[in-house]
Amino acid sequence: MGIQSPNTDLSAVILAGGKSSRMGKAKALLPFDGKPLISHLVDRLAERFADIVVVAAPDQTLPVLPVTVVSDEVAHQGPVGGICYGLQAIRGTVAFVTSCDVAFLQLPLIEYLMSLLKNYDVVVPFWQERLQPLHAVYRQSVIPRLQEQLARKRLRPIFLYDTVPTRKVSPEEIKRFDPEGLSFLNMNTEADYYDALARWRTLYPPISCTVELFGVARLKANTAQVPLVLRAEAKLQDALAALAAACPQLVGPVLSSDTVGSPALLSGYACNINGKHFIKDAHTPIQAGDSLLILSSDAGG
Amino acid sequence: MYGFHARLLHIDLTAQAYDWRDIEEARLQAFLGGIGLGTSLLYDFTPPDIEPFSPQNPLIFTSAPLVGTGLTTTAKYAVVTKSPLTGFIADSLSSSFFALELKRTGLDAIVVTGRAAQPIYLWITDNTVEFRDAGRLWGKSPQEAEEAIRAALQDSEIRIAAIGQAGENRVRFATLSNEGRHAGRGGIGAVFGSKNLKAVALRGHHPTSVADKAGVEKIARTLRERSVGPETAKYREIGTVANLSVFNRLGSLPTRNFQHPTFSHADALSGETLVANSFSRVHGCASCTIRCERLFRSLSGDEQRLEYETLFALGPLCGIEQPEDVLHAARLCDQYGLDTISTGGTLAWAMECAEKGLLPEARDAGLTFGNAAAALTTIADIANRKGLGELLAEGSRRAAAQIGTAAELFAIQVKGMELPGYEPRSLKTMALGLAVSPRGACHNRSGAYEADFSGQVDRLQADAGRGALVMASEDFAAVLDSLIVCKFLRKCFDDFYSEAAFLLSHVTGWQFSSTDLKRVGDRINTLKKLFNMRAGWQPSDDWLPPRLLNEPLSSGVAQGVRLTPDELRIMIQGYYEARGWDRDGFVSEGKKIELGL
Repeated sequence: MGIQSPNTDLSAVILAGGKSSRMGKAKALLPFDGKPLISHLVDRLAERFADIVVVAAPDQTLPVLPVTVVSDEVAHQGPVGGICYGLQAIRGTVAFVTSCDVAFLQLPLIEYLMSLLKNYDVVVPFWQERLQPLHAVYRQSVIPRLQEQLARKRLRPIFLYDTVPTRKVSPEEIKRFDPEGLSFLNMNTEADYYDALARWRTLYPPISCTVELFGVARLKANTAQVPLVLRAEAKLQDALAALAAACPQLVGPVLSSDTVGSPALLSGYACNINGKHFIKDAHTPIQAGDSLLILSSDAGG
Repeated sequence: MYGFHARLLHIDLTAQAYDWRDIEEARLQAFLGGIGLGTSLLYDFTPPDIEPFSPQNPLIFTSAPLVGTGLTTTAKYAVVTKSPLTGFIADSLSSSFFALELKRTGLDAIVVTGRAAQPIYLWITDNTVEFRDAGRLWGKSPQEAEEAIRAALQDSEIRIAAIGQAGENRVRFATLSNEGRHAGRGGIGAVFGSKNLKAVALRGHHPTSVADKAGVEKIARTLRERSVGPETAKYREIGTVANLSVFNRLGSLPTRNFQHPTFSHADALSGETLVANSFSRVHGCASCTIRCERLFRSLSGDEQRLEYETLFALGPLCGIEQPEDVLHAARLCDQYGLDTISTGGTLAWAMECAEKGLLPEARDAGLTFGNAAAALTTIADIANRKGLGELLAEGSRRAAAQIGTAAELFAIQVKGMELPGYEPRSLKTMALGLAVSPRGACHNRSGAYEADFSGQVDRLQADAGRGALVMASEDFAAVLDSLIVCKFLRKCFDDFYSEAAFLLSHVTGWQFSSTDLKRVGDRINTLKKLFNMRAGWQPSDDWLPPRLLNEPLSSGVAQGVRLTPDELRIMIQGYYEARGWDRDGFVSEGKKIELGL
């Protein structure tokens, strides 16, 4: 996957405040691919969206996230409430809205939905015989309509689509970007969760790479090489997080110990991939078999 | 005047006479101290066309405005002369207490000309100069000479810089040493020897006054704090020997006379292994909070300082595999006063010639790659100009010229100076830096490798834009070396020129801007070029040896990579253009006027 800069005009909203009653535990915190499901989702969306809003239930426990968190003013009003509060908090005027229990978001499909907005207020996919309001694009201008719905207890999002210009996206269009409809694979039960995990491992088998430590890093860790197993599509930041977990002695002298986000290399250190390229961008993708060299940024002298 | 004494001491060894002279404030503002002031004085004190071993060749010591202010890493001095190795400028730095003492003598510079009839040493105090007999010191190591002089003068506080036997015997890459530190490159020790000058001893009592004491102290505190942060961890915890394993992994470790960019025994010689197995103690220069020096203990129990350049040159470059042998070779070089880089480079040249049947004398002596015993014997022979050592004491370029064209292909030098431990084919910005540096292949007056090692550029590719990078690196180094601040502090500045200008203004009371300081760097490097032009520089002098332009890299991550003559030519053109010199690299009248030269 290529690296694109997050778009600063576009926002994403994640509805995390659902009851999770059938799951029996908070979906947002389910471990998925080495981190809480909500973190997984935020990381994926952060590749395209500079502004991410998470709508949580009052007092809901969430991991530390680099996002704006807002609470449902009135808890459990269903998706209409969540969409409404989320749209109120975004920095731009348009948002892609999703639930927090999907793991397989496909960024090209989301891009496509965004591109269809033009003169519409909503772009909503139609998949498996139903509209998918929690994988849809909304303009902020629909807020009054949603508020009206809330007042009248009309809590199903699809009522909105009769009152504002709405582009419904056909399964044929969707299949161009997501042939199997993975985007809509949500998890309502524990069985769904385990199915999703199994599917993830099939689609994205973990990759092995090696961190080679030089100089001070080698002395601190007391080893020259650290083998790592990372999730597919892992980035430099994931590798550094795994390195910090494998060699906690590096946190402090070599890796930053910030609690927000992944650990980063301190200013005296640099990373080189395979002895060839020096990399600074924490989002640089890591490939299976890569060697990551951690060395002094002051090579030479 | 603040920061300076505005005074130099001129000593004529032939007449055994001396006088103190004022240094114009304008000169100090234009060139600062250290390398800048040294270059300026060298230009004015050197008659055109003199030979480096001529009595008229001046030997110039300079101090600098930050020396003596208590700022961390500033206890350094420069020695400048016309190099017997290159025939161009030789400007070397050394450090520690001798540097502080030089400033305390109330001088910004000492200029030594002439030649003593017999071996002597100079004993310089605040108001006097004595020409003292060094007959008994001749043949002693620099360390022994220091001790003997201190004992003779009955003053434990005096500081001494001395040469060893290599300098006495005019080995063209002999060093000047003080307190175990060396003004290493370019053969300054040989110029000492040519003047029958064994040592300079100093004792002074002049404080360095600064314009804004409180302001300077505040900056000093900040720099001290930064100097012990992660930016300097490499130097504080391992030292420069940390480079070896990294360079090997990056295919940039010159091995067996630059035949390979990786060394099979790099792990055994790595800084990490040395620290784990042979570490003895940490040492630091005076006024330094970084304390980069590492002393290692050999099996015989001796302590030996080791830097990356020494480790590379006496290890992989000569195919020598055992740390013990490298420590032994380093100790010999220190005792004789030999530049370890040029010693290793010249030995490696001889080893290759021996293996290729071009130097029977070396072959008969077993001087082949990896033969440590033969290398150790030859180091002593070089210092004493004995047997094969007579040839090798001339450096690889002159030695090769005596043997013939085939041997010249294996002399890995620029302007006669052997290359440091940076493989130019996998560090192409550095390749340019090495080719154009005024003092020959040098990693100190240019840190062009930083662009290669930081990912700022693709180190395996070349383009004209490298010219501006090399110029910036040279100018930065010139300013650091003229203030003087140690280059190991360089990552501790957020915006070097602004912070350094601020610092200089507080020390001197002058109003210096970052633009002024950048111009000082440009001016110093352009004057070095003017000195070299007057000494006969031609465009062909800014070039790399044939191996580096003909052979692809044989191993490692950059295997197969070449540096072509066209690539080098494009980069050199980019450099001359960035400098505002003409297409052939000569400095125009317009440029001289622009820089006030």
